Amino acid sequence: MSDSNLPEPRPSERVGALPRAEVKSAEPDFATLLVAWLDSHRASLVDSLRRLGRQPVGSFLTCLAMAVALSLPMGLSLLLDDVAQLGGSWQRAAQISLFTTLDVDDAAGERLRARIAALPEVAEAEWIGREQGLEEFQRQSGLGEALRGLPENPLPGVILVTPRQIDKAGLETLREQLADLSGVQLAQLDLLWVERLGAILALGERFVFGLTLLLVLALLLVIGNTIRLHIENRRSEIEVIKLVGGTDGYVRRPFLYMGTLYGGGAGLLAWLVLVYGLGWLNASVLSLAGLYGSDFALGGVPLEDGLSLLLGAILLGYVGAWLAVARHLSELAPR
Amino acid sequence: MIRFEQVGKRYPNGHVGLHELSFRVRHGEFLFVTGHSGAGKSTLLRLLLAMERPTSGRLLLAGQDLSSITTAQIPFLRRQIGVVFQNHQLLFDRSVFDNVALPLKILGLGRDEIARRTLLALERVSLHDKAEQFPADLSTGQQQRVGIARAVVHQPALLLADEPTGNLDPRLAAEIMKVFEDINRLGTTVLIASHDLALIARMRHRLLTLQRGRLIADGEAA
Repeated sequence: MSDSNLPEPRPSERVGALPRAEVKSAEPDFATLLVAWLDSHRASLVDSLRRLGRQPVGSFLTCLAMAVALSLPMGLSLLLDDVAQLGGSWQRAAQISLFTTLDVDDAAGERLRARIAALPEVAEAEWIGREQGLEEFQRQSGLGEALRGLPENPLPGVILVTPRQIDKAGLETLREQLADLSGVQLAQLDLLWVERLGAILALGERFVFGLTLLLVLALLLVIGNTIRLHIENRRSEIEVIKLVGGTDGYVRRPFLYMGTLYGGGAGLLAWLVLVYGLGWLNASVLSLAGLYGSDFALGGVPLEDGLSLLLGAILLGYVGAWLAVARHLSELAPR
Repeated sequence: MIRFEQVGKRYPNGHVGLHELSFRVRHGEFLFVTGHSGAGKSTLLRLLLAMERPTSGRLLLAGQDLSSITTAQIPFLRRQIGVVFQNHQLLFDRSVFDNVALPLKILGLGRDEIARRTLLALERVSLHDKAEQFPADLSTGQQQRVGIARAVVHQPALLLADEPTGNLDPRLAAEIMKVFEDINRLGTTVLIASHDLALIARMRHRLLTLQRGRLIADGEAA
């Protein structure tokens, strides 16, 4: 660098100039401060990327550990969603069967069905006439010949009612309401099955929730420990920054970017793990479902779930880094 | 500029760093603080930098009471102070330019202004041709001058230096002192903690002498 490139000092900056007290310092205006603030954020981001890039294997393994922890609850949740659709909706499992009196023919049964379908608590109602019911029973029970020998059809017409909600109290009220309808001989609701179904769902949800909490805690610990190591490596730099007037926010900033980058990396990896993991599992599921005559298949990772996973991971990285720096900031006082 | 009023500092282990210290420093003064090891020089500097708080008395810096300063106010206080250490405290993974520019970045100045002031500060310590180098490439004396440039780049009201010539030979020490005098001529108050009595005597500035935390002499170095 040649002397000719040196800046011209202002009067107050020349040796032998006016006393400091007589010189008005030029405070930066808002636009300058804003640009400098953005510059500072850009520099922190670039610096964090560079530091992660200097240890590619270590950074990748940290992201991978976080990704595994993220993909477990998310994968389980996606599997539960898929299984819930197996064999129809959960609502269908809680159907109320209305057995009509034997004098209800197809026309009357259809009118009754339409009346029931109009109820606000009912999602769907299906009429199965006496003849149709007999045909299905003959086909499915294997007692076709024996049933054909009967003098008359003993089966009543049936209306299958699918409720909108599957809470136990609401279903029982609906069942009682339907049982009182004219032409209905028996209203049957397998409440035990509904209770079991509800219990299974609650258990699944609680398990996923508990697992999510545990793994979120594990993630915060992983990110916290990683950031703590970065803080230790930069202790002398932090002490200097604090000595020359850096605020806690200024000290915290690069570590927050680092946590966010770890989170983002982990979110992307978790997304990939889920996409390929579920794809790999799907081959076996298709084969198994085929043996049962079903075309059931795993649904993969919907875009909105993937984006939620990514955003959640970024947020976790940010929060983990914030907690780690907050925890150690008081220990970083200049010595 | 600085006012110590019966300032005392007692550490939790019972050790007394300063005993009811009282003195004043005017704006633009140049003074030395001397004394043997453990006399209280470093404690005095740490109190001025708000790294520690007095346990008794009142300490005022530019009108601000450091006895009751809040944690959030400390960074803004330190922006009015430049500090030079015996061990330089440079960041070895950053260039000379980036080391010197650090206080200006923290202040939030624009990129052009940072470049202008940083090069000016480096010129003041005759290191403008080393801006792109890294501290490890420089000699000890040059590293100390980078530390000085960083301490004065933001034109602080007060410059503190803790044994700034401790590791330097007499010729380099004299050069460094010349830099401090140049900075003082710009209006910056300069307070140097040193036990190099020969050097202090040559400079003929005000001298505070501490002994076991007490001020035992306050006058011009002879």
